[in-house]
Amino acid sequence: MHVVIIGAGQVGRSIAHELQLDHDVVVIERSQERLESIEPFDVLSIRGNGASIKTLKEAGVAKADLTIACTDVDEVNMVACAASHHLGDSFTIARVHDPDYIENWEPGDFGVDFMVCSELITARAIGQLIGVPAARGVHTFAKGKITTAELSVAPSSPLAGRPIEELDLPSSLRIVSLIRQGEVIIPSGEDTIESGDLVVSVGVPEALGELNRRAGGRPMAENIVILGGGRIGFRLAQTLQERGLRPKLVEAGAERSRWLAEQLPYCQVFQSDATDLAFLEHERFGTYDVGVSVMDRDERNLLSALLLKTLGVKKVIAGVAEPEYAEIFERVGVDVAVSARKVVAEEIIRFTRRRIAGMSTIEGNRAEILEMEVSPESSLVGTALQDATFPSGATIGAIVRGNRVIIPGGEDTLHIGDLVIVFSRKSAVTEVEDLL
Amino acid sequence: MRIAVDLRSAFHLISIVLQGVGLAFLLPGGVALYYGEPVLPWMGGLAVTVGLGTAIRAITRDSRELTMREGFFVVGVSWLAIALVGSLPYVVISQLGFVDALFESMSGFTTTGATVLTDIEGQTRALLLWRSLSQWLGGMGIIVLAVAILPRLGIGGRQLMEAESPGPEVERLFPHIRQTARALWQVYLGLTAAEIVALSVAGLSLYEAVTHAFTTVATGGFSPNARSIEGYSGTVQWIILVFILLGGSNFALLYRGFRSPARMPHFLWNDREWRFFMGVFAAFAALLALSISALHPTVTEAIRHGAFQTASIMTTTGYASTDFNAWDSTAKLLLLALMFIGASAGSTSGSVKVVRTLLIFKMVAREIRRILHPKVVIPLRLGDRVVSETALRGVLVFAVIYVTLFAVGCILLMLDVERAGLANGETLPVLDAVSAVAASIGNVGPAFGVFGPMNSYAPLPETSKLLLTTLMWIGRLEIFPIIVLLTKSYWKGT
Repeated sequence: MHVVIIGAGQVGRSIAHELQLDHDVVVIERSQERLESIEPFDVLSIRGNGASIKTLKEAGVAKADLTIACTDVDEVNMVACAASHHLGDSFTIARVHDPDYIENWEPGDFGVDFMVCSELITARAIGQLIGVPAARGVHTFAKGKITTAELSVAPSSPLAGRPIEELDLPSSLRIVSLIRQGEVIIPSGEDTIESGDLVVSVGVPEALGELNRRAGGRPMAENIVILGGGRIGFRLAQTLQERGLRPKLVEAGAERSRWLAEQLPYCQVFQSDATDLAFLEHERFGTYDVGVSVMDRDERNLLSALLLKTLGVKKVIAGVAEPEYAEIFERVGVDVAVSARKVVAEEIIRFTRRRIAGMSTIEGNRAEILEMEVSPESSLVGTALQDATFPSGATIGAIVRGNRVIIPGGEDTLHIGDLVIVFSRKSAVTEVEDLL
Repeated sequence: MRIAVDLRSAFHLISIVLQGVGLAFLLPGGVALYYGEPVLPWMGGLAVTVGLGTAIRAITRDSRELTMREGFFVVGVSWLAIALVGSLPYVVISQLGFVDALFESMSGFTTTGATVLTDIEGQTRALLLWRSLSQWLGGMGIIVLAVAILPRLGIGGRQLMEAESPGPEVERLFPHIRQTARALWQVYLGLTAAEIVALSVAGLSLYEAVTHAFTTVATGGFSPNARSIEGYSGTVQWIILVFILLGGSNFALLYRGFRSPARMPHFLWNDREWRFFMGVFAAFAALLALSISALHPTVTEAIRHGAFQTASIMTTTGYASTDFNAWDSTAKLLLLALMFIGASAGSTSGSVKVVRTLLIFKMVAREIRRILHPKVVIPLRLGDRVVSETALRGVLVFAVIYVTLFAVGCILLMLDVERAGLANGETLPVLDAVSAVAASIGNVGPAFGVFGPMNSYAPLPETSKLLLTTLMWIGRLEIFPIIVLLTKSYWKGT
């Protein structure tokens, strides 16, 4: 596949890195410095304006299968997509920051076949995390029929120290992996969960609430405070409001906070500095279940997230612009750091894998959860799973047949057209793709 | 000194309004002809008014550049001028003194409904029709009417309507202000016609039906009967009650409702102000019915009078279905409270208006929440709409100035009556004085005691009558347009 990537920022770089092995990748970038950062990759780099026809022609857009426009400027991305459509018939993906663009957009408008809004999907990603206090990551598959979660096991958790088969878990849920100190384990019934493990589960959404309770998490979060009323903060509050929650939102700007309060009738908005300790204490945010810090600057996010943590907030989530910081944030005490750029890159990469309908990466890219359709050529069709030769680094978490969700045992078989949710080590992903 | 107001073009507009109002004398003239009463005074009124208008028009010039400044002047002075020419028939036919005639005329055009006539049923039919017609013309607003029919006022009419209209702002139904003015008058005409038909069917003569319909939808309250509508059947009173409530509703809202009748209940119920209006009405009607239940023979009668008097006073109409002056103090104080609440903005009613009352309550609730959460940001909403802080400040300032004017009015009235005494030699009880002032600023009309619905304002000294006349005028135009005229910077343009 011939892929043209416009913009070699964090997102463009992640995508180029991901696709370099299997595809012909051309990257267009204006800044010399950024071009140099992708020097080590096995891609062709062109210096120039991604919205200019001349540069696009040079990059071979006319014969491209996929054009991904992910510069920092929304309008440039849309113009680049329109121009690509003009030159050839590649599938075009535009990344935008401003959610207003995506709200007025229908597939195909402005020559954009797929639009990704970083702020929107980041807000959504954080929103999913909030539903389950013990969770580090929550993703939905098969149009919401399946929810996967990464839950950290506290030392006090009743799950710790016992074999999985003795846990009496809901039958509509399966534990597909334990991640212990960075090592990915695909457990059998005899394996024991230890405190500090990250448990990866696949199941119907209702069963996740049950597992969350067992893992020592409290019921679904009620009290939520969001620091920072930028685009992410606003969209997050909106998402939560739609779910019937009543988050509190803290924003320093006078006009912005007024605007937010007008837009969000069910959300209490405060105009204050997020690091004003007296204010945070006065409003008793320390007693809250979840605190989210999504301001413009990473340092402020870290500071206020840690402040909330010391005040007693059960779970703090911080937004991070630089993906490399995410690990540092989590090391110094932030429960979950969410990188908008990583989330966007994942979303776009998902589109480049033709057969994979859904995907999410687990624990720093060590493993993936994939949603795939069973093809007529698959060697697994008709064989009971216990007799099939499945890669050892992978396991099937759930099967969706029509409207039915099956949590498979050894005697279940796959049918053509089934959707399967597969957990796989990074190393086994290609093998799984070929098998199904 | 050069003044900043373009008086010549302002007077030019006033002259146009006068010419138009002069034509209104044709209706009582026709009625006089029909009943064989003297016609000459009406033709004289027409000649004087139109002549005055034409004369002023001749010596002034038109200017297309009409600003808010001239707007206030035009509205304020027009209403005064109209009340003056409207008082002519009372002087000529009823032999009233100048002050009494002006009081009656101002009370008419401002839809107040307070009277100085002691012998109502001794008046000619044409004069009583004029009394009702003046309320009907003033109800929807003379300026709104002028904007609707006079081509000249297409531009700048919005500023004029803003200054005249009851409530915080004129709701725009159409891009052109003339279309909006016409739509409002269509509703007004439609309601009037419907009530004339309903009352005729219920057994009233055409004359009675017309005079009462005029003063019902205008929420005015004048009746050709000395004892208001006490003598009418329960059915007639219920019909009038319904139209009083419609007259107290926002006409822009009614217009939308009449355009798609199937969704009318939906429109009304989803309008926060209307819902609050009905809520306050229902609550006060119930309280009032309870407090007067001992005075009336049957429960249904107590309910009817409770509901009727609540609607009548709240919408600042002033009809009496019974002599509410005979009720006890609790009932009277409930009615006094209603005089300050008023009905919907954009209706024909006076006083503070329920939307302002509602917003004031919301602001109080917000301040209480701010005490607990000093940094919280709370925009106030009416339904889905956010009310701007500027509008809220306007509401608050209006309420303060309204109450101040009321207090000052009470003191001045008491002082004046103590100085000059009442004509009947009695002293003036405080509740009577207070209710008279509230009823004048709020354009309600009848008050308590001396000024009860079956009595009149005649015993007051002339100076007091002038005071109340002024309060009606200021109250009808919602205070600010008149106060602005009294400031130095208005005239100097600083």
